[in-house]
Amino acid sequence: MTERHSGDLTLLLQAALDGELDAAGAMDVEGRLSADPALAAEYARLIALCDAIRTRLPRERASDALRARVIAMAQTPSQIKPTPPRRPWLLMERYRPLAASLVLGIALGAGAYGIFERPSADDDVQRTLVAGFIRGRLSGQTVDIATSDRHTVKPWFSGKIAEATTVVDLKTDGFPLAGGRVDVVGETPVATLIYQRREHQIALTEMPASSTAASSEPRRETRDGYSIFEWTEGGRVYAAVSDLPPGELDAFGAAFRRAAAAEREDTPKP
Amino acid sequence: MVLPHLDDAYGLARWLAGNQTDAEDVVQDACMRALASLETAIVERPRAWVLTIVRNTAFNWLAKNRPKAVVLTDDPQVLDAAAAHRDSAPDPEEALIAAADEVALESAIQALPHLFREVIVMRDINGMSYREIAAAIGAPQGTVMSRLARARARLVDKLGSRAA
Repeated sequence: MTERHSGDLTLLLQAALDGELDAAGAMDVEGRLSADPALAAEYARLIALCDAIRTRLPRERASDALRARVIAMAQTPSQIKPTPPRRPWLLMERYRPLAASLVLGIALGAGAYGIFERPSADDDVQRTLVAGFIRGRLSGQTVDIATSDRHTVKPWFSGKIAEATTVVDLKTDGFPLAGGRVDVVGETPVATLIYQRREHQIALTEMPASSTAASSEPRRETRDGYSIFEWTEGGRVYAAVSDLPPGELDAFGAAFRRAAAAEREDTPKP
Repeated sequence: MVLPHLDDAYGLARWLAGNQTDAEDVVQDACMRALASLETAIVERPRAWVLTIVRNTAFNWLAKNRPKAVVLTDDPQVLDAAAAHRDSAPDPEEALIAAADEVALESAIQALPHLFREVIVMRDINGMSYREIAAAIGAPQGTVMSRLARARARLVDKLGSRAA
């Protein structure tokens, strides 16, 4: 007789199964599983189920015909009618002017997503950075080393991060340095600088670029209400996350890029 | 905006509508709606946005074409009843589930009410996060979690109690 567990515990198991728990939560579940054979059996059944679905029911692919119809819908609105669907498209006339906007939509989408498919690693990185920012704000512990002196932060990082990091002083631009911390993106420890603006903070993370592009123009995105200002320079990706209004984050990004460029010129090349 | 997620869109439509022809109609219709709203919408999560439209289109389509097939029940009693008759020993059950073939899995999932089926498809087949699913179905994450839990409990029951 398998006993049923309370609803909360069942939900906890689901979250563990789907990798939606933080480290503390995962440890808690592991503890419960080892202490409770019935729970462990339930967990094993759930794992068996998910594995079976994942391995035996692959993601469906839209047929080429459908794909072609959707593309055609966007590009040549007048061509849609000759392929009659099984029921009348009464609203077709209404949508016709809008179809032109999809051409634009696809063009914009392609630009923003890099030829139709956004690299999902990028998405994961952003998610990690925003999560890090939120966690820092919630705990009040946004920095591992609190200092406004960039000459203290930089050597502190050098003991922890393989590559040299760019640390600039933006006090005159109205963004005093508050300190630094080490974030982990994927499995790579990366340097994050914290700058202060009134009651707001900006977390600027520097990472090695994964793609081949050595540099790219800055772009700003919004994720869960936080602004992200991101650019690539010299094979390094810089991403600033903040709860500042987007305009001010743009100003910060511009100031940082200016100061970093000035510093690169000062530094004698080896 | 739609194209990168066309496979996900089609996959969901296919599971909700049940066959390829209807699924393609649903997706095509959904794309028209997506076009129409693209002018005004600010889209932050394109995949969730596209799937929301596909989902709504699919439910409208089902309500119109197959009113009897739509089971939107979230009634705990129905579900508890399904859960109550699990009484076999755990190990053979797990082995049975692990051995479930494509046909058994597919029919078990198709037998789920639509609200449960869609979360299984989004999570286990499309690999979406709770947050993304919540955005797509317009419900809190807690609802996503409980529907997933119930859907999986049903599948475990069904697949675990098959005659070997």
